[in-house]
Amino acid sequence: MAADPRSIESISKPAGDAVVEIQDVSRRFEDREVLSDINLFVPRGTILGVIGPSGAGKTTMIRMLTGALAPTTGEVSVLGRRPHAYRRQDRERIGYMPQSFMLYEDLTAGENIDFVASLFGLLWRRRRRRVREVLKLVDLWDVRGRQARRLSGGMRRRLELACALVHDPELIILDEPTAGIDPLLRGSIWKELHRLRDAGRTLLVTTQHVGEADECDIVAMIVDGRIVALAPPNELRRLATNGDLLDIETSADFDGANLIGLRGVRAVTQDGARHLRVVVDDAGRSLPIVVETIRASGVEVASAREQRLSFDEIFAILVASGGELRFADDARSAESTADDRGPTSPDRTASAA
Amino acid sequence: MRLFKTPTRILAIVGKELVSIVRRPSALISLVLGPFLIMAVFGIGYSGYRRPLATIVVLPADSGLPTDANAYKGVAGDGLEVDLVTTDEAAAMDRLNHQLVDIVVVAPPDIKTTFEAGRRSDIQARVNLTDPVQVAYAEFLARGLEAAINRQIIEQAVDQVRSFATDLGLRDPTRIPAYVIAAPTAADLDNVAPSEPTVVQYFAPAVLALILQHLAVTLIALSVVREKTSGLFELFRISPITTAELVTGKLIAYGIFAGAVACATIGLLVAGFHVPVIAQPGWIALVAALLVASSLGLGLLIAAVSDTEPQTVQLSLLVLLASVFFSGFVLAISEFSEPVRSLIYVLPVANGIRLFGDFMFRGATVVSWQLWLLAGLAVAYIGTAWLLLRREMARA
Repeated sequence: MAADPRSIESISKPAGDAVVEIQDVSRRFEDREVLSDINLFVPRGTILGVIGPSGAGKTTMIRMLTGALAPTTGEVSVLGRRPHAYRRQDRERIGYMPQSFMLYEDLTAGENIDFVASLFGLLWRRRRRRVREVLKLVDLWDVRGRQARRLSGGMRRRLELACALVHDPELIILDEPTAGIDPLLRGSIWKELHRLRDAGRTLLVTTQHVGEADECDIVAMIVDGRIVALAPPNELRRLATNGDLLDIETSADFDGANLIGLRGVRAVTQDGARHLRVVVDDAGRSLPIVVETIRASGVEVASAREQRLSFDEIFAILVASGGELRFADDARSAESTADDRGPTSPDRTASAA
Repeated sequence: MRLFKTPTRILAIVGKELVSIVRRPSALISLVLGPFLIMAVFGIGYSGYRRPLATIVVLPADSGLPTDANAYKGVAGDGLEVDLVTTDEAAAMDRLNHQLVDIVVVAPPDIKTTFEAGRRSDIQARVNLTDPVQVAYAEFLARGLEAAINRQIIEQAVDQVRSFATDLGLRDPTRIPAYVIAAPTAADLDNVAPSEPTVVQYFAPAVLALILQHLAVTLIALSVVREKTSGLFELFRISPITTAELVTGKLIAYGIFAGAVACATIGLLVAGFHVPVIAQPGWIALVAALLVASSLGLGLLIAAVSDTEPQTVQLSLLVLLASVFFSGFVLAISEFSEPVRSLIYVLPVANGIRLFGDFMFRGATVVSWQLWLLAGLAVAYIGTAWLLLRREMARA
């Protein structure tokens, strides 16, 4: 379970085949900075999840990729071209699903998809086939003749997803595609996104559902316009806790300080006299050593397990650390925070990489 | 295959717009059937007959003139309806002040004596009106009354002179009738126009032009602004469609729709109101096409400068208001001063009314420059709107 620095390296530095490159990008609206120092490189054939609370700057970032907004500073490149200089051929390679419903209320589901397919230049025969395929894919085939205004919120999101996919684009930009969709259908949508990824498509997906981080190949956590973490999902856990996390309960009082200095142990948090949280390099290797050390001191171990934080918890930790780091000029203060709570500075991780 | 993509995109816009129009029957009803209904009510209700002004004639107490109102019918003409003949001027003025009558005519005392003394008598026509058009009409009627009374006086004088001449033994003094001497000429109006439409028929080209302009301006402007405000422009921006394709698609769609409305309207006007159409259908079609194209361009321009639907509706209504006032629909364009008159022609409907009227009622026009002007307006409006919308689509 050790962190593989190369995995972070590959997503934080320009790869040879990066579909999306965002370098030192900031965006201001009058005197308000909405995005700050964003660096992001999305290799071909991956799903990049952009996760953050509402108002974090996700949609602003997406709109810069579509060419709707220009960065105040920095460079954006999509499919090797700056968005404001997109040619028709470039646009035909991009699929975009906006956050809010933008289709025609008085057209049916099928007509809306057919219209978007026509905009992307699909000729009749292929268009007919693709409309049928995506309608079935998003489970709207049975309501294809229903006007969009009569579709439920979830159906509308699926309709927009179908429109983004109908021309079979190379890069698919989805702004909160699973918002308002029930968990069962959300699963099937992610399944389809994985299938697209496996077929070589590159996907950039924003979401407020932190739990969906697990569905992505790379996750960029964005808070207040800054990327506070950028890593594959498993690495996020390690970023949040600075390693693997062991949860130990003892049958008698035990001083966690006795574990400091053990090989592989990075930090110990005492959460009550009989409850410890130990951050280690590798849970598999360190767990027996820690248990043995406690027992050797004459205290029985009631339970010992590797703790897998939920992405909600990880997100909360990273957000908290990110916020503190932005305001902590003193490096020691930041490090002590990390030592106290466990998380590694995500900004440091990104910049180190 | 790339060659077919542009027509595919344009046809997508055309199809989408036409479907949207058909699925919004309320818009159709208000924009198309509404004006038809107004025209129908106008046709049924308007007779072109101007109500005669209710009149009181005030006579001097010792005038010896008849006090029967019917005796003054011929003198006053059709414009005045004498309700009462009285000697009580104060009571008559009281009724005028209370707007119970429109005009009080006060006859001067002893016209004959004054005439014989070689002086003019003043007939006072008093009105209580604020409407300048009505005042002008009353003045016109007063002049008519004055002429009629003068003619009667002359006829009476001629009769007196003739009987005096007979008494003197002059030969055939009655050869020339008194009314010919009093009014030696009579105007006989001969209209050489190829057709003489009724009042309702005369307004038909104006109604047609106004419907077409209002429909074209409003529908295309709302269609574009809805797409701007709903965020659909963002979809267009990321898709390969160009502003030119988008604008072309909309022009074709609304052009087809307005063409259908024009055909239906003309059919209804001809079949229902028997409006004469003398010119070849091609001329009517040309005027309709140019009017619709320039109106669609104006609508696109409104959409390009509007940020919200209410703003678009306001601007469309302003255009409609300006069209009603300035286009010749209510007031003749020739009644405006020169700088305003030149400006009026930037309204497509001002040219459309004149051209439709000429081709329908005369079969030809002497203002063919207005055809070129309509074409120029179409190019100018569409071109400017295209530039503005292109800038908006590309804005980043």
